[in-house]
Amino acid sequence: MISLRGVSLVYPNGTRALDGVDLDVAKGSFVFLVGHSGTGKSSLLRLLYREQVPSQGQVTVDGIRVDRLRRSRVPHLRRNLGVVFQDYKLLAEKTVWENVAFALQVTGAKTRDVMRQVPRVLDLVGLSHKSRMFPTELSGGEQQRTAIARALVNNPKLLLCDEPTGNLDPSNTSEIMELLLRINLKGTTVVVATHNQAVVDRMRRRVVRLDDGRIVADEERGFYFLERGAGGLGQTSLLSG
Amino acid sequence: MDWGKLRFFLGEVTRNFTRNAAMQLTAIGTVTVTIALLGSFLAVRTTLAGVGASILNKIEIAVFLDDKTTGDAAQVLRRRIAADPHVLSVAYVSKAQGLHEMRDRLKGQMDTTLLTSNPLPDALRVRVVHPDDVTKVAATIAKYPGVANVSYAAQVVTRALRLADVLAKIALAIVGVLVLVAAIIISNTIRLTVFARRREIAIMQLVGATNAYIRGPFICEGLLDGVLGAGIAIGLLALARRELVPKLIVAVPFLPLHAATPNGGMMALQLLGVGAAVGVVASWISVGRYLRT
Repeated sequence: MISLRGVSLVYPNGTRALDGVDLDVAKGSFVFLVGHSGTGKSSLLRLLYREQVPSQGQVTVDGIRVDRLRRSRVPHLRRNLGVVFQDYKLLAEKTVWENVAFALQVTGAKTRDVMRQVPRVLDLVGLSHKSRMFPTELSGGEQQRTAIARALVNNPKLLLCDEPTGNLDPSNTSEIMELLLRINLKGTTVVVATHNQAVVDRMRRRVVRLDDGRIVADEERGFYFLERGAGGLGQTSLLSG
Repeated sequence: MDWGKLRFFLGEVTRNFTRNAAMQLTAIGTVTVTIALLGSFLAVRTTLAGVGASILNKIEIAVFLDDKTTGDAAQVLRRRIAADPHVLSVAYVSKAQGLHEMRDRLKGQMDTTLLTSNPLPDALRVRVVHPDDVTKVAATIAKYPGVANVSYAAQVVTRALRLADVLAKIALAIVGVLVLVAAIIISNTIRLTVFARRREIAIMQLVGATNAYIRGPFICEGLLDGVLGAGIAIGLLALARRELVPKLIVAVPFLPLHAATPNGGMMALQLLGVGAAVGVVASWISVGRYLRT
């Protein structure tokens, strides 16, 4: 589903966000991206939905060379993947239903499809009964579930989550993670960038660790921190994490 | 037709348009002033051109003969002038006839009985086919032997028309500046809307809306500003025309005004077109600049 080859990203101010990253993510898998702030997790996700173009290397998503994608083709890439953020990015003056429908409406979907798809995803995230409420009337977890519903309404093959539980308490966090797992079990590839040690340790999924723009560890069924003795990097992370 | 889609789109446009009413009114007002001025200038210009042309058509060249020219020589000269293809007609007016006509014309204004002798020379009155040829024909005639002097009112009229033309150019330049001002104000209005909706735009881009789609409601907003402003201006101009032109015709009866009033419907369409174009171009530029960055 995702393939990065020798990817580097240098921002105009000279900051090297990513440095020679190679990564493959198989279709239908669930991957955590971990590492402390500023190590390039968000930058890596931004390359995948073409918010950033790599300074070097190849980025392929679902067979599309994203690094060489023409600007005019970017919307079509984004219709095939969903993105979820820490701050939900919901529109305050629209209801839950309207926020979710918005993603379909602005991509020119037929009203018939809007009427069919929106109830389906609201049911999936468990918000059917709150579809007429506004984001400010919802809890953080419910807002994030709305955002996830919006990301899923186009039936994407890939769901990218940038700190999805960063603003949530533990019970809302596990609710969201269960939801992401359920989505993954339905066949959607899920990539989650997170700081949340508890989540990563409980789920025991593939963990890709970034440090200073490089991939320093990549384990199946991994933990948030490298196990003791596995390398010096784990130790430093313990201190700064 | 997908009514749900249309309703969603119109809802977006309405929300944009009503978000900042004061700014929207400023934009519409500027367009109104601009288009109203443009319309008046165009109307005045076409009217003046029409009036000028109809006066020029009636212009005669008065050819005054010197005292030594006899009646026979005058007839030879008349035939010679009439042979010019640019000339429509030539009439001979003798001294006595000229005095008689002048007495008629000045009756009640001046006591012509005071004239003890006839000061007028014999004359020929020449009319040309095209008013543009007046100057050329007059210059040719002036060189003929026996001609003392040539005079025609065309000089005054053409000079007046040239002045009107210069004034019209200045007026158009002012209108041009006003159009620019209107465009800048609309463009700023749209930029405010764009700024107010930057979150929505970001989300639209995130979920894969095309730039063309994102642009749509903003272009419509600009179009609405331009068309509404132009519409109000056209209404004002139509009112002015209905109220003012009949009074003008009465006030200045010597100008053939009614012969020269411009085609109202055609002009309304053109003005509406200018308003719409200003709105669309201005909004296109401000959204385009935002989407590119």
